[in-house]
Amino acid sequence: MKIEISRSGGFAGLTRTWSVEVSSTEAEERWVPLVEEAAHRGEGSGNQPANAGTPDTQRDRFVYRIVIGYHEAVLPESRLGEPWRELLDRAKAEGAGSAAPAGTGQDGPTAP
Amino acid sequence: MHVCSIIPPHLLVTIAESRDPRHAAAADSARHALVQLPPLIAGRSLALAAPVRQGAVVLSQLERRVSDAGGKEELPGALVRGEGEPPTGDTSANEAYDGLGATYSLFSDVYGRSSIDGAGMPLDATVQFGERYDNAFWDGERMVFGDGDGEIFGRFTASLTVISHELTHGFTQYSTNLRYQGQSGALNESLSDVFGVLVEQRELGQDAAEASWLVGEGIFAAGVQGSALRSLRAPGTAYDDDVLGKDPQPASMADYVETSSDNGGVHINSGIPNHAFYLVAAELGGPAWERAGRIWFDTATGGAVPADCTFAQFAQATRAAAGTRFGEDSEEAGAVDAAWRTVGVEG
Repeated sequence: MKIEISRSGGFAGLTRTWSVEVSSTEAEERWVPLVEEAAHRGEGSGNQPANAGTPDTQRDRFVYRIVIGYHEAVLPESRLGEPWRELLDRAKAEGAGSAAPAGTGQDGPTAP
Repeated sequence: MHVCSIIPPHLLVTIAESRDPRHAAAADSARHALVQLPPLIAGRSLALAAPVRQGAVVLSQLERRVSDAGGKEELPGALVRGEGEPPTGDTSANEAYDGLGATYSLFSDVYGRSSIDGAGMPLDATVQFGERYDNAFWDGERMVFGDGDGEIFGRFTASLTVISHELTHGFTQYSTNLRYQGQSGALNESLSDVFGVLVEQRELGQDAAEASWLVGEGIFAAGVQGSALRSLRAPGTAYDDDVLGKDPQPASMADYVETSSDNGGVHINSGIPNHAFYLVAAELGGPAWERAGRIWFDTATGGAVPADCTFAQFAQATRAAAGTRFGEDSEEAGAVDAAWRTVGVEG
């Protein structure tokens, strides 16, 4: 099962997208609950601004969007805790990420 | 310091505090002179230890503190260079130190503002943040710079405009505090780009026609097809690369980008107010920080820009600031009107 991570914002305003294949079991038992928890904690979902939860005075930081099937969460960089960093490292290691300026493609994670 | 040697400090304070618009220029000069005073009246170390408050006027000195995070994502890191200390062996730390000084100098020497908060706030920066970290940011208290991944970006301190951009986020936090979302967020970004390039232009002694008007020139790694991250003269043309794609910045409202990424496209739609500023500066000619920059500075500090400001409200505020400073029928006010019309913003 594919998990997509896209990172927008930052000083450069570039959106980069990475993806990682995990087993259905790992996705359902580990990552889907974390995505749902993040979304329900008001840290963002597709229906909320992408900066939901961004600390008020931080500027030029990244915003991460994590998508597993129909599940989606948006996390400001400052809340990208350990489980997500592990996932991001795996995605980065799995293959070269694609990069595109935000807003030029579809509004959300871009298909590789 | 020679400027103020004739006028006694108490008189400078009185002039500086004048709210009478007829005395605006004199008040600015007096505030400017007051900023230069501490070495005369108190001595450097004393002034550093306790900035002197006198009504609305705060006397202060530049105080920089550059720290090194050693590749960790932890702040502030270890202090490596304080104010007045000699260069360290680290390029990023020295670039940050010099960039903070150049930014402080624009706000203090040209606009008479005592540091970014108007009250002599020390300037803090952290370099070597994270591993292959592809970003520079303002965390609400300090600037933070990564070394880049070496593939897309090199170190972020390599361009003075990046340092001055981040520090200007601090200035904005203490002036308009524009909300970091949508149009107000794009204005927040634009102020950082505008004063960011003005710091560099002033350091290089370039007038509006000579300047590159680029933000982030020289921070791309070798091989990336692009000269910089953004262009105020020609938004949308800074880079066009196989991997990164093309610079997405619009130059007018007709091409405004609606997106939920990037806090609502704050780094994208900033192209519109960025280009308006460029048009004002180009029309007026000469050093852009003097007249165009003064209008934008007056706008940001004048109290007419709400936190949720739209482009149209901001355009009105710049027009009002130009009228107040230079006259309703002045060349400057006309240039501001024309610029916003060109980028399609109804002020």
